[in-house]
Amino acid sequence: MLQYAALDAYTYMKKTLLSLVIAFNAVPAMAQTLTDGIMMGRGKLCTGLMYGQENWSTYWEGTLERSNQNIGTLQSQQYMWMGIYGITDRLNVIGSLPYVKNHTSGGTLHDMEGLQDFTLAAKYRFYRLDSDKGRFTAHVVGSFSTPMSNYTPDFLPLSIGLHSTNLAARVTFNYTFRQGWFVNGSSGYTYRSNVTLDRPSYFTNNTFYETNEVRMYDVFDFNVDAGYRIAKWQANLTYMQMNTLGGGDIRRQDMPFVNNMMNASRIGGVLMYYLSKPKDFAVRLTASSVIDGRNVGRSTQWMAGIFYTFHFTKTE
Amino acid sequence: MNRKKIFMLSLVVILVSQCNRDVSFDESLPALQPSRLDENAGTWKMIYMSSPGQVAVAAPLPVSDPSYQSELTSIKDLQSKLNPTQKSIIDYWSGGGVLRWNQILRELVARYNLPPAPLADGSYPVPDAENPFADPNFPFANPPYAARAYSYVAVAQYEAMKAAWYYKYFYNRPAPYTVDNGIQALVPKTALPAYPSEDAVLSGVSAELLKSLFPAAVEEITKKAAEQRSAALWSGKAAASDLSAGLSLGKSIAALFTARAASDGMKTAGGNKAQWQMLVDNAVARGEIPWLSLDLPSRPPMLPFFGLRTIGGTPVGVKAWMMTDADIVNDRPLPPPPTASAEMQDQVNEVKYYSQNLTRERLAIVHKWADGAGTYTPPGHWNDIAAEYIRDARYSEVRAARVFALLNIALHDAAVACWETKYYYFNPRPTQMDPAIRTGTGIPNFPSYASGHSTFSGASAAVLSYLFPSSAQYFSDQATEASLSRLYGGIHYRIDCNTGLTHGNKVASHTITFAGNDGAGN
Repeated sequence: MLQYAALDAYTYMKKTLLSLVIAFNAVPAMAQTLTDGIMMGRGKLCTGLMYGQENWSTYWEGTLERSNQNIGTLQSQQYMWMGIYGITDRLNVIGSLPYVKNHTSGGTLHDMEGLQDFTLAAKYRFYRLDSDKGRFTAHVVGSFSTPMSNYTPDFLPLSIGLHSTNLAARVTFNYTFRQGWFVNGSSGYTYRSNVTLDRPSYFTNNTFYETNEVRMYDVFDFNVDAGYRIAKWQANLTYMQMNTLGGGDIRRQDMPFVNNMMNASRIGGVLMYYLSKPKDFAVRLTASSVIDGRNVGRSTQWMAGIFYTFHFTKTE
Repeated sequence: MNRKKIFMLSLVVILVSQCNRDVSFDESLPALQPSRLDENAGTWKMIYMSSPGQVAVAAPLPVSDPSYQSELTSIKDLQSKLNPTQKSIIDYWSGGGVLRWNQILRELVARYNLPPAPLADGSYPVPDAENPFADPNFPFANPPYAARAYSYVAVAQYEAMKAAWYYKYFYNRPAPYTVDNGIQALVPKTALPAYPSEDAVLSGVSAELLKSLFPAAVEEITKKAAEQRSAALWSGKAAASDLSAGLSLGKSIAALFTARAASDGMKTAGGNKAQWQMLVDNAVARGEIPWLSLDLPSRPPMLPFFGLRTIGGTPVGVKAWMMTDADIVNDRPLPPPPTASAEMQDQVNEVKYYSQNLTRERLAIVHKWADGAGTYTPPGHWNDIAAEYIRDARYSEVRAARVFALLNIALHDAAVACWETKYYYFNPRPTQMDPAIRTGTGIPNFPSYASGHSTFSGASAAVLSYLFPSSAQYFSDQATEASLSRLYGGIHYRIDCNTGLTHGNKVASHTITFAGNDGAGN
């Protein structure tokens, strides 16, 4: 049991880091955030700051992968705060807020930067079964995210986000063996509010709309991962799939649009190390790559962060 | 208890996801009940046709004729069986054919306004009118192409409506819903004579022109045109013979305009490599920095011989509607400051200031007016604005056609005059002068001086202010905002914007002079 307790503080971070893989900055942060199966213990607050980059130099125009000299390489820099608090051993709340800066190496388009979307989520473990071999747990997550600045979603791929307000629901199953191996599966459904543009009309999905309001389609995602945690080290691999349940393709030589059908498959990994000194600190490194997609960039992403855990309730 | 919580959470998610987020894509229009019928429109001055009776329309059979009576019977039969789809088609077209075709045209422009993608060797394929379905699609409906397209459709419709009105009041055959009490009026009833049907005239003239301008869209254009005629029939507004006479008149008038379009200079407006080099050489010979494409890979200039009247001694240039070649040259703005001058450097510095201080408020203005690739273009934006005024004024089809004709004549002439200016001076964009200038929207692939948006907007505001004087201040404010959006976006110098607005006004004055004496009044 001690082993489980030691793991609590940091495993939450994993998917949040991966979640910052922007496609066309499309990934709803919460859809991939709360996908693992470990709870933070009661009275503990884990909080950290992260920095990361994501780059792509080819993207899928519909299903056609291409480069574009007027974009060159799209580089996104991300600075993020996040925190997780254990209200009880079975109920955690999580918050995150990224600042994003996007830049293209080619062409003339202006950089975009700003505070992106604040996410607040609650995670509840509704089932646990311990056995001699390990522990099975099942969780549900409800989350809410909304833009924290008036950034435009209508300047993709430079826009820092899609500016919708999202509600997501997720279910996660985890099995962790006593020896430290674990497998995890999670699936989420994200409802996205419509967004408004600065212009009075737009053309997308072969239809001309005489309005500034854009229909945003829901997003379905799932991920599976497997890894090993022992003592001060953690390592795992993840496969993630995101599908937008509607929207059109980017037309030949057109710009991407906020409600395109953005789909992505990616693989990634996490390495984490818990410091002995100073106590309660941890560092982690994550990386991931899009391996297939539609109307998104073939991006490669890494993030590094440092975390600290406060203990508000004396444990053990 | 856990199960209950899960259930509640699921319920919330399901309820939220059922909220209706669908966005309607049609500009909704109330059923047209014209504020006046414009009975004398058959006497209004023609623009391109020699007279409203240039195309003959045979006299209709009297309403007592059995063949006409059987047409009425078939309307009653159709009306008794109308299904919801047919009723929605009636509703759609009841908003006014001229307004609907303008919407359809704006949509076509947005759909076809995409530049060709580069080939592997860095060259660009040219859209081919003979193979419009291939990649790249024909046409590339860029702003000059779009301005010309809007103007052909609008002028042809206007001439066709005047011809229709001429014959309507010449033959005075009433609408079926007036002749026969058993026929319902499923659209607002008017006293407008039905022969030839204005809906059929519009369907014929619009569809024929659109098919020549957007040949790959033949299927939807044909379908829309047929629906417009069906709506007129089903609604009790026109009988089969009113429709066939109208369709024939509309198509014949369209043929006059497609003939003009085939030889109006558009075919040579793209030019060739040797001619593009002449533009560069001419600028260098004047001691100026020549414009360079900032697209990557470098793209040939957009329609360099749309405006210019001559290149290397060869006559080029697309015909204007209200301006002669001499007018175009005489109205051309004075030269911009020399590229090497301190005055030009000041212009560059100001653009750089806006590039480095791209506030959210200014970016919203840039994007409101960007009207770049994949949109209906600046001429389309001004048509969009005009459409609301036409709708609110409840204009008859002929007067609605007049507004679009006058507006789009000025917009086309603005495109011609502005493109003449741009390629005459061949002035570099701000980012070419200082690569540190990053832009809030794409840099158009043609020379800087003067601003196309400003010229289009100056011309539009002038024409619309003439037609709707009580909103003159609004049009002027919108034009100024559209103009400055190009400075805020870092793609034009202030002098481009100011000069374009003034030039647009001057171009529009030719159209306004015509409108003042066309017999239509205001």
